[in-house]
Amino acid sequence: MNRFARRSLIGAAAGLLASAALVFTLGNPLLGAALGIAFGAAFSASLPPTRGTYVDNLMGAGALGVPLWGLVSVIALPLLSGQMPQWGAEQMRQHFPSLVGWVIYGASLGLFTQALSDIAGHFFGPEAAPRLPPAREKTRVVILGGGFAGMTTADCLEQQLRTNAQVSVTLVSETNALLFTPMLAEVAGSSLEPSHISTPLRSSLHQTEFIRGRVAEIQLDKRRVILEADPRNNGSTAQREIPYDHLVFALGAVSNYLGMANVEKLAFNFKSLLDAIRIRNHVIEMFERAERESEPALRRPLLTFVVAGGGFAGVEVAGALNDFTRGILADYPKLRPEELSVILVHSRDRILPELSESLARYAQKRMEERGVVFRLNARLADARPGVVVVSDGDIPAETLVWTAGTAPNPLLKTLAVEKDKRGALIVDSTLSLPGHPGLWALGDCAAVIDSKTEKPCPPTAQFALREAKTLAQNILAQLERRPVRAFHFDSLGALCVVGHQTACAELTVPFARQRSMRFSGLLAWLMWRGIYLAKLPGLERKIRVLMDWTIELFFPRDIVQTIDLK
Amino acid sequence: MSQTGTVNVAQAGKGVGVSWLIEPVLGLCIGALGGAVQGALLATSVGRSVLWGAVFGLVFGLFFAQRATSPGAGLIWSLALALLTWLLFPAGILRLLSGSGHSMAMLQDARQQFPELVGVLICLGMPVGVTLGIWGEAHSKGQQPKFSWGRAVVAGGLAGTLGGFVFGRWVSSGNYYPLLAGFGELNSRSATVSLHFAIALLIGASFGVLFQRDVRGFGSCMGWGLGYAIFWWFMGPLTLLRTAAGLPLDWSAEQASVVFGSLVGHILYGLILGVTYAAFDRLWVRLFVQSDPLNREVEGPGLRLLRSLEWGALAGLVGGVASSPILLATGVLPTIAGLDTRLSSFGGLLIHLLVSALIGMSYGLLFRNEASSVGLGIAWGWVFGMIWWYVGPMTLLPLMLTGVCDWSTDAASALLPSLMGHLIYGAVTASTFLLLEHRYTRWLLLDPRIAARAQRRIRPVGTPAPALWFFALGLGVLLPILLG
Repeated sequence: MNRFARRSLIGAAAGLLASAALVFTLGNPLLGAALGIAFGAAFSASLPPTRGTYVDNLMGAGALGVPLWGLVSVIALPLLSGQMPQWGAEQMRQHFPSLVGWVIYGASLGLFTQALSDIAGHFFGPEAAPRLPPAREKTRVVILGGGFAGMTTADCLEQQLRTNAQVSVTLVSETNALLFTPMLAEVAGSSLEPSHISTPLRSSLHQTEFIRGRVAEIQLDKRRVILEADPRNNGSTAQREIPYDHLVFALGAVSNYLGMANVEKLAFNFKSLLDAIRIRNHVIEMFERAERESEPALRRPLLTFVVAGGGFAGVEVAGALNDFTRGILADYPKLRPEELSVILVHSRDRILPELSESLARYAQKRMEERGVVFRLNARLADARPGVVVVSDGDIPAETLVWTAGTAPNPLLKTLAVEKDKRGALIVDSTLSLPGHPGLWALGDCAAVIDSKTEKPCPPTAQFALREAKTLAQNILAQLERRPVRAFHFDSLGALCVVGHQTACAELTVPFARQRSMRFSGLLAWLMWRGIYLAKLPGLERKIRVLMDWTIELFFPRDIVQTIDLK
Repeated sequence: MSQTGTVNVAQAGKGVGVSWLIEPVLGLCIGALGGAVQGALLATSVGRSVLWGAVFGLVFGLFFAQRATSPGAGLIWSLALALLTWLLFPAGILRLLSGSGHSMAMLQDARQQFPELVGVLICLGMPVGVTLGIWGEAHSKGQQPKFSWGRAVVAGGLAGTLGGFVFGRWVSSGNYYPLLAGFGELNSRSATVSLHFAIALLIGASFGVLFQRDVRGFGSCMGWGLGYAIFWWFMGPLTLLRTAAGLPLDWSAEQASVVFGSLVGHILYGLILGVTYAAFDRLWVRLFVQSDPLNREVEGPGLRLLRSLEWGALAGLVGGVASSPILLATGVLPTIAGLDTRLSSFGGLLIHLLVSALIGMSYGLLFRNEASSVGLGIAWGWVFGMIWWYVGPMTLLPLMLTGVCDWSTDAASALLPSLMGHLIYGAVTASTFLLLEHRYTRWLLLDPRIAARAQRRIRPVGTPAPALWFFALGLGVLLPILLG
């Protein structure tokens, strides 16, 4: 028998027995019995039975009698008999006998329900367990990459699948945390603690199986992903093969050194948390060495920091390094400000091509005022130890940070699917790979074309987040045999910090997508901080970052070396 | 009320080697002793009172002793049993059987039997429950949740003192100290204030010692504060303070009516005490227990706080809609929130809904971890609704409209109709909140770690929550009716 039907029957019988008190106090036997049965059935049905809880039921149901008296005797019964509710103080006092009757009814209902439930359990066994859906083979969705695109896809799938246990989601990532890249420059500049801008994937995802590992091979024909073996453990039994029904490529991009092997060898990458930590520690190392160096000519390259690339990443890291290096000069009394230089090398005539020209000029002017040197229309050609070779002249420098080019993950080269000239996977407007059912791609590793504007979508986190939502909806739509939808998103704008309390912001005007509002200076900087703090995943991380920013207002930046780069 | 529980704390807490006869015999002895005291105080037949007390103690020892796992749990269970006993026998079944069950005569009889109610609570309920609770705790073989004396006394004492300070500042302008009602005039203001704080400290510290194991969050703390405050009204103004002032003991309904205002004062003090104790207790647990990495939970603190406020606001809105017909019919709506007495009904309705949403947010904030099923949600919702009847129309509304509180029995009588509206509001708000919460958390529970934590948060079978509902709801509704 259905458990609710069983409970209701028990409750109705108990209610009938307990209704003696109502019959006696309400003065209408039929009404008293009917009310007793109805409330008994409802009471019993709403509570799962537990053996032997007589006194708990006695008191709990007794308490139930008090409000029931008010609802039924004081309000409902007079209304049903065509009178006004009798809730005046004196009228309620006249109902005192029925209050006692309802309390006695409640208390005895609790006892009888428990007794009948125990008897039913003794003779007929426990309640039937809720029916589970028949076990079927699960549909496996595997997501490769734990960046914004991969993480958001998994999160959206979790939200949409809810209690659907017929679909399993697995996320494979080389790192176990989502890096909030907009704040990466602040880690390199020692403003923020590294772990404060990373959110553990395991804590953020509840239903998704997370596997930390590097993908070695994807066998499209056998529909499985092969992970690299752990070289430190030959006898490892760790899972290496992951079968899939739907595979999502969210592998992101890597730095593209345009074939310059020396640059690749000598330059600092600026993509991961470790890169930012290494840059910060390297800067401190350079200062320590320069402090001991008495020869000015040898000091110069130690205190020259070159950033290649004038896009968002390059400008932000140059601004952060400039603030950091000039700030810590106070801790190095032998070094003079004029010995220090932060140089940004960019191949075009203006920085920040993503923003309008006026904002780019503003950013350049403010950065120059703060000491950053720009080498525009200059190409980085090569690098040697202590020298950065630029098309318009060499720069003696021990530090080079590369932000000038990216390329899709090299793993994609091994796949026999259609790619664009950058090597990104070509997807249709629904973000699936044409001709490959069950394969999807998004983010920096995909060539996504907006379905309305038919323009390529930029490889930014803003677009990756929206692509992830559409992709998750489309996977679910396919599973449920519903129509999939095409991807479209209008950019909300862009923000870039260029130095201490200075930023540029270009925000799209709502409902007038072709127009934008431009902000600069302190207001734009406050907008940057407010917007990105709100976007940073997790309340705990938000608080930690906010504390870091607050501490920075009152105390100098930390120059403790945390890793040894020698 | 049955609850899905994993471990029956009460049953598990019992020692294996303890004879089942000891508790009934102990209950019988203490009950008989209490009955003798009650007979002496009420000047009734001592033999009959001893027999009555012995039967009470025996029944408690036989059927309730398993639930008396601590002095606090024992106290609440036995107070509830005492109230039920009084409702069943002196005021209930005997009168119904004698044929006076369909008239005001029964209420008059109940008023005449009011001293019996005070007697059964003070002389039987308290000693039997506390004694068997102490016995139960001593023989629990360490299977109960850990008890921290420092946490109980410090958090309880601080909460009591702070509650006394806040409450004292509020009510002392009229030189009226509800906690001292019945004591009479003191010589100096400093002596009055000192005594006020001494009693507040005593109530607070004893609250922590008695109920540390039972209270879980802000909501249950308020519930326990409400119940304990009602008990202290019987203990303080009606009993100890009169005795301490050298006045003859008077447990009559007439005397209770005279100090009815202090009942409302006690209830408000109990709520402040409950909330403050919960704040200190949660802070203590956060600083010294949950900060230990070994005790780390999967889900961090504060993650569901905002959602609880959102669900609470929505649930409060639904509760406001459900209760508005009663408030409209009773004419309370136009004066709601005390903003403008000339408001039209529609304007009043809008303000009522806004206030309902805000109060609903307080439900979300305070009661979000208390209920795991609709039945339990409704029970806590009723307690919440009753709390707001005492806080809102009885206190805040007159304070905002006229600048003074009227805690008289006449004021309570005039506001009785809206009590029904508040109970409906509480129940509907609680059940809607639970539905919204379940809708969101259902999928989270697929994670076995979160499901395990949710299971830990469910109040296990055997805690005194059902007894508290009965005692607090029963007396919270009964006393304004009985004493008006």
